Amino acid sequence: MLILIGLLVTLLGFLISVLSLTLTSSVGGRLVLVLLGLAVSLFGIIGLLNKHYLKNAIWKKG
Amino acid sequence: MKTLNRSLLGLVIACCLAPVGFAQAPAAAPAAAPAATAPAPTPKPITDADLANAPVPTADARAKGDPDGSLTGTASDITVTDAKKGITIGDLANQVGQNKIAVNFVWTLVTGFLVMFMQAGFAIVETGLCRAKNANHTMMMNFMVYGVGMLAYWLIGFAIQMGGVGAEANLGGTPPLSAEYAITLFGKPFGLWGQNGLFLIHKGTYDVGVMVLFLFQMVFMDTALTIVTGAAAERWKYAAFVVSSFLMGAFTYPLFANWAWGGGWLANLGVNFGLGKGYCDFAGSGVVHAVGGITALAVSMIIGPRIGKYTRDGKSNAILAHDIVIVLTGCFILAFGWFGFNPGSTLGASSNGGLRIGSIAVNTMLAGMAGSFGAMLYMWLRYGKPDASMSGNGLLAGLVAITAPSGFVNPVGAVIIGLIAGVLVCLSVEFVDKVMRIDDPVGAISVHGTNGLWGVISIGLFADGKSNYGGSWNGVTGSVTGLFYGDNGGQMVAQLIGVVTLVGFVFSLSFVFNLLVDWFVGQRVSAKTELQGLDLPEMGALGYPEFELKTPS
Repeated sequence: MLILIGLLVTLLGFLISVLSLTLTSSVGGRLVLVLLGLAVSLFGIIGLLNKHYLKNAIWKKG
Repeated sequence: MKTLNRSLLGLVIACCLAPVGFAQAPAAAPAAAPAATAPAPTPKPITDADLANAPVPTADARAKGDPDGSLTGTASDITVTDAKKGITIGDLANQVGQNKIAVNFVWTLVTGFLVMFMQAGFAIVETGLCRAKNANHTMMMNFMVYGVGMLAYWLIGFAIQMGGVGAEANLGGTPPLSAEYAITLFGKPFGLWGQNGLFLIHKGTYDVGVMVLFLFQMVFMDTALTIVTGAAAERWKYAAFVVSSFLMGAFTYPLFANWAWGGGWLANLGVNFGLGKGYCDFAGSGVVHAVGGITALAVSMIIGPRIGKYTRDGKSNAILAHDIVIVLTGCFILAFGWFGFNPGSTLGASSNGGLRIGSIAVNTMLAGMAGSFGAMLYMWLRYGKPDASMSGNGLLAGLVAITAPSGFVNPVGAVIIGLIAGVLVCLSVEFVDKVMRIDDPVGAISVHGTNGLWGVISIGLFADGKSNYGGSWNGVTGSVTGLFYGDNGGQMVAQLIGVVTLVGFVFSLSFVFNLLVDWFVGQRVSAKTELQGLDLPEMGALGYPEFELKTPS
């Protein structure tokens, strides 16, 4: 389940950056939205997906 | 002595600041032209009669040989369409046109051959960084990724990437590559994938220009694929590697490459949304290296670390390379191949901006140098020794980072980009290893992923607005310009949208593909196989049979 959520959050970041193209026409506004999208995608990868795999990591099984 | 020291210090500071000053200073006004003393003579048009009377060596003279080369390559070598009329202006014009395209064909093919040779560099870098018990397996993955990737790309990948690119003028037009599938989003066309070029015969793509383009793009695609084999080395099941690489060569890589280079929506962010010149990636920091590095991240995450890489409390253990000699030799081979990668991306030497190949090649070598320096100094200061493998990775990081901006920046920009890349690769390796606890035996995620993204971003900062490839880029008039040279930030936004597409979309696609491979094939070898070494169980032969320790009976 965490894998699915992580994937959806990672993709959400991408969608936010694409939506920046239509939500505003100012360069500053788009920059903020794209950076927000990047942060969301990175959270999906590092904060959710990787966390899931670390929970079941081979080195924890000993 | 004090005075000498001060003088030396002053000299060093002056040397460091001088190039920056030169780079930032506006160009000096040209000296006033000398007053014209007489009107220039009006050029006389060439006529067919002039050409007919062009001096050509006689048959007798040619029969005696031509030791100094003065009789070879004359008007007599121009192809004549009508022997009765002799040589005409039309013949001459056709010959000039063919010569231009021939120069570009040869340039693109030879640089493509150089990129192909990078596969050898990757193979020995990755194998050297792994343990001897996995040498055959690691080498075999690097060897067969060439064939597996090429098959996938020939079947479908090239069509997806380039099937709708339109005219590649430097290669004679490539008119058959004209069908891009696009949807309308926010009132603008979003190109998603190309449709012509399956098997290199579909819809008229059996064409000399298309063949040259295929060869060049194919070796780029294979570079991206071989990045993954390093990150997943020493525990990747061979069958899973084959399926995963095929999927990447057929779909993941071509899709993003279409968006950036094949006429897709990222390239058109400038035309459609006023963001600079659209997403720019001259030779593929994003398209090739970041796609490879990000896929490597997805695969490594799914496979998990090697046995023994982490202790039970999560502390990272160093697993040493077995042959640093071939690692650094491989780095040199890669640096050599990069002279094909970046300058070759002009797709021609006789074209608008084609002569930029000189500055592109120099930018490439400078950034590589700066990268190796950055990494060596960082490791020396932090750990007390100039680490060899990280210096090699620093060289590669500098080369990866300069790949996207190589066609748009000046030498000072190239050195700064490379230097940052050299330090960044060390920081990234530590972050991936110690914070994310992802095992990457060769540092591929950091070298290609992190620095691929840095290369894409660096265009938005360092592009100096001096490049001119026919007066426009991605259909937008003007030169690519970054924030440090007066852009309003639009170019940076376009670059960052490319970055988020790589991190958000390409990662997700790679992750899903490899999750499916894990379910249906299984990504990881058994613990027994891993401990024994993958050479015998997976490949049936040891890489170094003489090195095997035998217990006396």
